[in-house]
Amino acid sequence: MSGLELIDVSKSYGATRVLDGVSLAIGAGEFVAFLGPSGSGKSTLLRIIAGLESLDAGEVWLGGERIDGLAPGARGIAMVFQHYALYPHMTVRENMAFGLVNAGVPKDEIARRIAQAAETLEIATQLDKKPGQMSGGQRQRVAIGRAIVKKPKLFLLDEPLSNLDAALRGRTRVELAQLRTRVDAALVMVTHDQSEAMTLADRIVVMNDRRIQQVGTPAEVYARPANAFVAGFVGSPAMAMLPARVAGHDGARVRIGLPCGADLPTAIPAAAGLEEGAPVTLGLRAEHVTLAPPATPGLPARIDLVERLGDRTYLYARLSDGSEIIAHAPGFSAVRPGEAVTLAVDAAAAHVFTADGTAHHPGPRA
Amino acid sequence: MKRDRLSPLVTVLLLIGAAIMLAPMLWTLLLSFKSNAALMADSGSAFAPPWTLENYAAILKGSLTTRWLLNSLIVASGATIGVLVLSSLAGYGFARLEFPFRRTLFVIVLLGLAVPEQAVILPRHQLFAWAGLHNTYPGLILPSLTGSFGVFFMTQYFRAIPKELDEAALLDGASRFTLFRKVLLPLTIPAQATLGVFTFLAAWNDYWWPLISATTSDYFTLTVGLASAQMNYAQTSGLGFLMAQAVFASIPILVVYIAFQKQIVRAMAGTAVR
Ligand SMILES: Nc1ncnc2c1ncn2[C@@H]1O[C@H](COP(=O)(O)OP(=O)(O)OP(=O)(O)O)[C@@H](O)[C@H]1O
Ligand SMILES: [Mg+2]
Repeated sequence: MSGLELIDVSKSYGATRVLDGVSLAIGAGEFVAFLGPSGSGKSTLLRIIAGLESLDAGEVWLGGERIDGLAPGARGIAMVFQHYALYPHMTVRENMAFGLVNAGVPKDEIARRIAQAAETLEIATQLDKKPGQMSGGQRQRVAIGRAIVKKPKLFLLDEPLSNLDAALRGRTRVELAQLRTRVDAALVMVTHDQSEAMTLADRIVVMNDRRIQQVGTPAEVYARPANAFVAGFVGSPAMAMLPARVAGHDGARVRIGLPCGADLPTAIPAAAGLEEGAPVTLGLRAEHVTLAPPATPGLPARIDLVERLGDRTYLYARLSDGSEIIAHAPGFSAVRPGEAVTLAVDAAAAHVFTADGTAHHPGPRA
Repeated sequence: MKRDRLSPLVTVLLLIGAAIMLAPMLWTLLLSFKSNAALMADSGSAFAPPWTLENYAAILKGSLTTRWLLNSLIVASGATIGVLVLSSLAGYGFARLEFPFRRTLFVIVLLGLAVPEQAVILPRHQLFAWAGLHNTYPGLILPSLTGSFGVFFMTQYFRAIPKELDEAALLDGASRFTLFRKVLLPLTIPAQATLGVFTFLAAWNDYWWPLISATTSDYFTLTVGLASAQMNYAQTSGLGFLMAQAVFASIPILVVYIAFQKQIVRAMAGTAVR
């Protein structure tokens, strides 16, 4: 494995455990996003990889070399900081050259690399400016440029887009996507914006509660979340989680009963923990819940909140027993809060989580 | 920089204030160009010619005056350089490095701010006498280096610099010293200028310690030397000469003030950090 490998990494601040036995392998050219709620240890893990934070236990390997004992500058890693961390008293050129000078790269080579990076990042005309004279987006590019010229084995980006306004964020996101095609290195990006993670990353590492909850492609993480946390965290709006009970089995498939009386035949294969009567949580994404056409059977519900996005509308509703569910309707729906509706559920797409958090997903369609 | 326009009333008040402040200085300047004899007859004669440079000539002729000027320059520069170097290193250490008893030491530094010179001047005198430091340049310079203010000031300044910069530099392969020298120190230049100006002025104007420590006229600083040359306590006969001395002693300070106007104003306004 020539990429990045973390083996059983743990870290505490005083008595507070922040990372607990984190293991992860990332391919040499892979783009990976760390996704998780605030305080889940994403930055800490990134900083441990960079060498800015010590680890209590575990190993970090990069390119076949164990690096957790090395100084940050000796690891072959470049980092783009959330607030850019450009040296304010140096020009853009000097900012980009600083690491190379420290590494003893020859002058003409430095000039060549800077010229090339400046060209691709379209900051060639800005090289003699100081960071203070530049816009946020330009500074961001300088920060990326400073990382590129070092030709690192691994790029680390800590919330690289969070300081930019929406329009700029979109553009920079495209640039990050291009960045990976231009560099021959692995990229690890921390974000708590899941759409960023979904669009950019080859794989997503979902973190919560000191641990990695799931590692997978965006599609896997979305469609087959490893547990209730991932299911609730990934996807917008969040997956609705309804308290339920295993009502029985239709052949090899599980039937789920809701407190409101509904009985849903799912596509979930029978498994240990899904015995009849077992308390479970039913996970339903909004895209699998719709308004039932008039005079068809469904779940009676009352609308709490209507979120109209233009191309579709999300309906936040409550079933008769009070459990919350989210449905979608195409275009601009005329439904109003307080209205009583009937919801049609595509139970074949439902997920089930047992009390210990284990996920059960629909099997291949019969 | 955009400035607010002052109302006419405020302008007039400020002008009056400035005039009150300036009047004694101008009066001093004027008197310094009159002969002692003319002033003895009538100090009002200062407003009318003849004016003369004889007082200044007398100062420069006084064989020791230039030596005292040099002493003051050496002492004030030495104190300034010493304070800047020590305060920067100590400030960086307190702000950025982990070492045992860091907090305790910093508290001691803070306590140092509360100790007035009066409390230590006798023991210091004895210590320096014992070490043979009286009537030497180190003897005049060293006490300035014991002040805590510079350390406190630079520590605060280093603390205000985002740690991300250190981290970026470390990832850029900088050693601790390169980080200090190439990244952090250049960012403290405004603070260095402010601290430097104040240290220089304080050392230049200091009278008490050089008066105690320097007992041979070769090691007098300008303040002590000029005072020692002023034997006429009633100050009726040597008025022009006295005033010329005062002007002469202020010239270097004036130069420093003009050169570092921006830093001084900024420091006074209390916005030393950017
Ligand atoms: N220097 C520190 N000292 C003590 N606790 C810390 C320190 N740095 C981080 N922590 C704690 O470690 C936990 C993880 O922090 P971390 O910054 O890695 O989270 P994060 O996932 O990056 O969050 P965010 O999305 O808000 O950036 C938090 O509970 C935080 O309070
Ligand atoms: Mg973070």
